[in-house]
This record gives sequence, C-alpha cells and structure tokens, in this order.
Amino acid sequence: MSKAAATEQKKMITDIFVEGARKGWAIGTSSTIPNVMMAFIIIKALTITGALDMLSSVFGPVMGVVGLPGEGAAVLMSAIMSMGGAVGVTVGLLSEGLLQARDIAILAPAIYLMGSTIQYAGRILGVIGTEARYYPVLFGICILNAFMAMFVMNILV
Amino acid sequence: MSAHDDQKVTLGSYVALAFAVVFFSGLLKSTEWYGVFDFTTLNGAFGKLLNGISTGAEGVVESTATTYRGTGGSGALDGFLFALGLVPTCMFALGMINVLEHYGALRAARKLLTPLLRPLMGVPGTVGLALIGSLQSTDVGAGMTKDLADNDELTDKEKNTFTAFQFSGGALIVNFFSSGAILFTLTDAAGQSVPGSIGLAVAIMFIFKVVGANIMRFYLNFASKKTETEAETRLEARNV
Repeated sequence: MSKAAATEQKKMITDIFVEGARKGWAIGTSSTIPNVMMAFIIIKALTITGALDMLSSVFGPVMGVVGLPGEGAAVLMSAIMSMGGAVGVTVGLLSEGLLQARDIAILAPAIYLMGSTIQYAGRILGVIGTEARYYPVLFGICILNAFMAMFVMNILV
Repeated sequence: MSAHDDQKVTLGSYVALAFAVVFFSGLLKSTEWYGVFDFTTLNGAFGKLLNGISTGAEGVVESTATTYRGTGGSGALDGFLFALGLVPTCMFALGMINVLEHYGALRAARKLLTPLLRPLMGVPGTVGLALIGSLQSTDVGAGMTKDLADNDELTDKEKNTFTAFQFSGGALIVNFFSSGAILFTLTDAAGQSVPGSIGLAVAIMFIFKVVGANIMRFYLNFASKKTETEAETRLEARNV
C-alpha cells in the first residue's frame, strides 16, 4: 500500500464526512444560492410580463403528454443551460404554486438527463473529440432520454 | 481517481454500496428506529415560526405557522432565503457520498458493472473505471475515454456509444446530489411532499443513460449500413 493510501486509511469517518460536507457548502454557496436566486428573479420577471402564462399555454399540450403543466417547459429550457438553474426554476415555480409536488418528481430525472448539455458539449464531446456530425444526434438523445424518463415517472409516482 | 485504480474491492465495499442503495432509496423512511438508515429522515426539517394569530369562531384563538422563510415573498430576496435552506441538504448529501465513496461503494459498483457493460451497451469492460469516473466528474470521464480511444482500447463505435452514456446526465452523482436531491425534500403549496425518492430518481436516470447509449449504438449501426449500401450502389453504378 502506498504512503498516500495509508494516510487515507487512517482518516476518521467523521473527518471524511466533514470533508464532503465542506464540498457541499462550497457547491451550495458558489452554485446553488446564486443559481436559485437568479431563477427566482427570472420567474418574477416572466410572471410580471405575462411571458410565463404565454409559455405555459404554448407548451401546455406537449407537457400534458407527460402529465405536467405548461410551466414545466420553463424548467426544461433552463436545464439545457444549467442543472442548478433548472432546480432553481423548479423550486421557484413550486413556491408560486404553479408546479405541484408530483410535477417535481416527474421533472427531477429529466433535468439531469438533458441538463447542462451546452456546457458539456465542450467539456465532454470536445475533450473526447466527437465528430461534429454526431452532435445533433447526441443532443437529440439527451432530450429523448428526458422525455422518456418523464413518461416513466408519470406512471410510477 | 486515477486511470489505474488498483484498490481492492472488499466485502466492506459491497456493504457500503448496499448501504448507499438503502440509504437513498427512501425504503426505510420512518420515525421508527430504522429511520436512522434513511437520508430524508436524518435530513429532518426546519422548525416552524408563528405566522399569525386570529380569533376564530366562538372566540377560539387560532394560530398559523410558517417556515423561517415566511410567506408571500418573491424575487431575489425570497430566492436567496429559500436557497439558503437548501444548503444543509447539499452538505449532508455530499458528506455521505464522500464517506460511502471512501468505503468503496463506487469500487464495488464498478466491479459489479464491468461484466455487464458488453451486454448492456456493447462497450468493453475496460471502460468500467471511466464510467464510474464520469458519474463523478465529466472532465475525468471525458479524459479517460479519450485515453482509451487513443490507445486503441475502444473502437470508434464503442467510443461514440460510451460518449452518449456520459453526455446525458453528465457527472450524475455529484450534480444530482448537490442540487437535485433537494427536490425530494420539498413540499408544495398544498402541503404535499414530493413523491418517489432520491434512489428512484437515480435508478431512472441511470437506466435512461444506458438507453441513450443504445440509441446511439443503433443509430451508428444504421448509419454504417447506409454508408455501405451507398458505397455499393455507387460501385454498381460504375460497373454498369
């Protein structure tokens, strides 16, 4: 066993937990809070301008297939940009009473399956060196995955 | 995680993995003693604050309670206060993940998954480590995949199939447990708590990551057949 591995073994379980919790604090303060706060501002802006109503009536029929109100589309659109942001939008809509508890369970896996894809196109596809002609297929698979997951969750919960 | 992770998978690793599955599944969610093995039970709840007092019918004093966030807020201020309440869940989840990872839960998962990779996705067992790495960090997963492809351990088709697995739900474990897990601790305006569980969501996401990889695999099969047929047609046209 290497020296590094030996010291790793000696760590107390409490130290390991605290180390992880510290990571959680870092993510919470540097990602969750700013993302959720921004999402609440966007929702407020969309509500005041009436854009949210418009969005929900346009996407209502599509989202209805997976048992969601039209507002669910706002969550999915923000997911493409950022997973954390989409969670912010979700909780914002929940606290406005526009999404119900069950809607959240349906949306949760979908947010991640199609989440942060714009960012990950660079960080995954770019690094691996995926040929450009496969990009649309890969984006399509993410969106399809999200819709299939919502369909299944709609049956399960 | 390095490309050559030679740490042993022990019985303890499997125990850690089994514990992780039970802990986040919500199966033992309860106020009984066994609730100690459930994430949402241990995560607990914020206390309530008095919100208002009114005199109801027949002079009975009635009170309403609210969380520390209060009621009727909106915009940036409400968003900040709400988000602050999400931080402890995120800290607890990542603390637990760190402990479970330390005791080998992910190594055990890798060991169990490796022989299944070929039948499940048509990729070789050698991607096992990259797969587990990609659940924690997109950069680790992508870097290791590139290495495997550069060393000819993956064919082009296998590389693209495996890329589809990573691209949908990138860095699933870290991303989901740092923000999505929170969703399963919420209640809506009607007081209903979110149904399902963290474990169910993780299982669904993992299944569809595999499904996505297979869609890519079939697409690549179809595309290569099409190219072959086109090439043959061209060849025949020339021979005529």
